[in-house]
Amino acid sequence: MNRKKIEKMITRTALRDKTAFEALYDATSAKLFAVCLRVLNDKAAAEDAMQDAYVKIWNNAGRYRANGLSPMTWLITIARNTAIDRLRARRAGHMDLDIVETVLAAPGPTPEQAAVAASEAKKLVKCLDGLEQNKGEAVRGAYIDGQSYADLAARFDVPLNTMRTWLRRGLIALRECMSA
Amino acid sequence: MTDTPDTPQDEMGPHNEDMQFIAAEYALGLTPPEDAGMVQESLRSDPAFIAAVAQWQERFAVLVDDIKPVRPPRRARKRLKHRLFGAERRPLLQRAGTWQLISFAALAVAAWISLNDLTVDVGPDIPSFAAQLENADEGLTILAVYDPSRGGIVVSRTAGGARDGRVLEIWAMAEGAEPVSLGVLPDTLQVWVQIPDELALQAASLTLAVSDEPPGGSPTGAPSGDILAASAVSGL
Repeated sequence: MNRKKIEKMITRTALRDKTAFEALYDATSAKLFAVCLRVLNDKAAAEDAMQDAYVKIWNNAGRYRANGLSPMTWLITIARNTAIDRLRARRAGHMDLDIVETVLAAPGPTPEQAAVAASEAKKLVKCLDGLEQNKGEAVRGAYIDGQSYADLAARFDVPLNTMRTWLRRGLIALRECMSA
Repeated sequence: MTDTPDTPQDEMGPHNEDMQFIAAEYALGLTPPEDAGMVQESLRSDPAFIAAVAQWQERFAVLVDDIKPVRPPRRARKRLKHRLFGAERRPLLQRAGTWQLISFAALAVAAWISLNDLTVDVGPDIPSFAAQLENADEGLTILAVYDPSRGGIVVSRTAGGARDGRVLEIWAMAEGAEPVSLGVLPDTLQVWVQIPDELALQAASLTLAVSDEPPGGSPTGAPSGDILAASAVSGL
C-alpha cells in the first residue's frame, strides 16, 4: 500500500473530510479487520473492535504526525491494541493499551530514527526466528495473540518471574540482532 | 555487558537496556500492573521512552504482514458511518445545548460587531456562517465567523493559545480541495482574515482547521504539525 496516499488520507481525515475517511476505511479495513479477527478469533467481536478502532482513528487523526510512526503501523497499532483491550477487558489489573491516551502525548522519533526503525523492522522475522525458539514464539504470542505473562508462563511451563526474565533476554537479543 | 566498536556504550548500557525492555513490554501489552503508573508517567514526559515505544511498535507491526486481509461485512461500514456521522445532519441550532448556544451566539455577535462598524449594512437575508474550533486537551477554543458582506472571517481566540515556541495556523478547505492557508494567528485575541474569492463562493460548505506549526507557519504549504481542531462551518 502506498505510504504517501495513506498519510494523505489520514491528514484529510484530521481535517474532518468524510470522503477521505471513507477512502481510508476502504483502503485499510480489510487489513485491520483481519488483525482484529486474528486477535479475537470471533467475527462479531472483531467487527466491534474494528469499528472502535476507526472511531479512534477519526477522533485522533490530527495527532497522527506527532507519534512518528509510519501510517500503516499507526493504524495497525490502534486496531491491534483495541482488539487486545477487548480480549482482556475482563481481566483484573490489565493496563489499558489505548494508544489515544498515551503514545501521542509528546514528540515521537525524528524522521531519521523512524527510517532506521523501518529498515530494522524488515529484519524482525529473521531475528525472531534466530532467537532460541521459545523466545520468538513468546514475542509472537504476546503481540499477535495478546497472551499475558500468565498465559505465556503456562504455555511454556515456567514460573511467571522466569517468563519475564526470559522474555527480557529475548527482546534485548532481538534488538541487538536488528540493529546489527 | 559486551562492548563492541559498533555499539556505543550509551546505547547499550544497562539503563538503556531497562528502558528498552520496559518500552518493548509496553508495546506488547505486557506491562505488569505495578509498573503501569511509572510507564504512564514516562509516556507523558520522557521523549526517549516515547521514541523507544514507537520504534518497538514499528518493529512488531511487521508481525501482522503475514495476516491476509479479510474484507469486513458490508454492514460494518454503514454502522461506522452511522455511529460517527449519523447525528450530524441536524443544524447547529439544534445540536448545541441551550446555554452553550447562547454563549456561542453571544460570542459570535460580539466577534462580528467588534469588527464591523455600524455603518456596514448587512441585510437579514444574507447568510452568515460560523465554526467553533475546539481542542479540549489543549484548552484551545477559536471562533470563526464569516462576514459575507466583506468576504472574510473574524477569527477570535476565546481560550488557550499556541504551544511554547510554536504558532497557530488557520486553514480553509472547500469540499474535495486541498487546504488553503489563511495565515498564522497573531498574538492578539482577534484578527480579520480575508479569504480568497474562490473560497468565498463556497463559504457555506467550507471546513476550517487550525494546526500547530513552527514560527512563521508551515514550511510546506500544507499543515505540517498536529491538526488541533477542524470543523465545518454552520449557518448562523
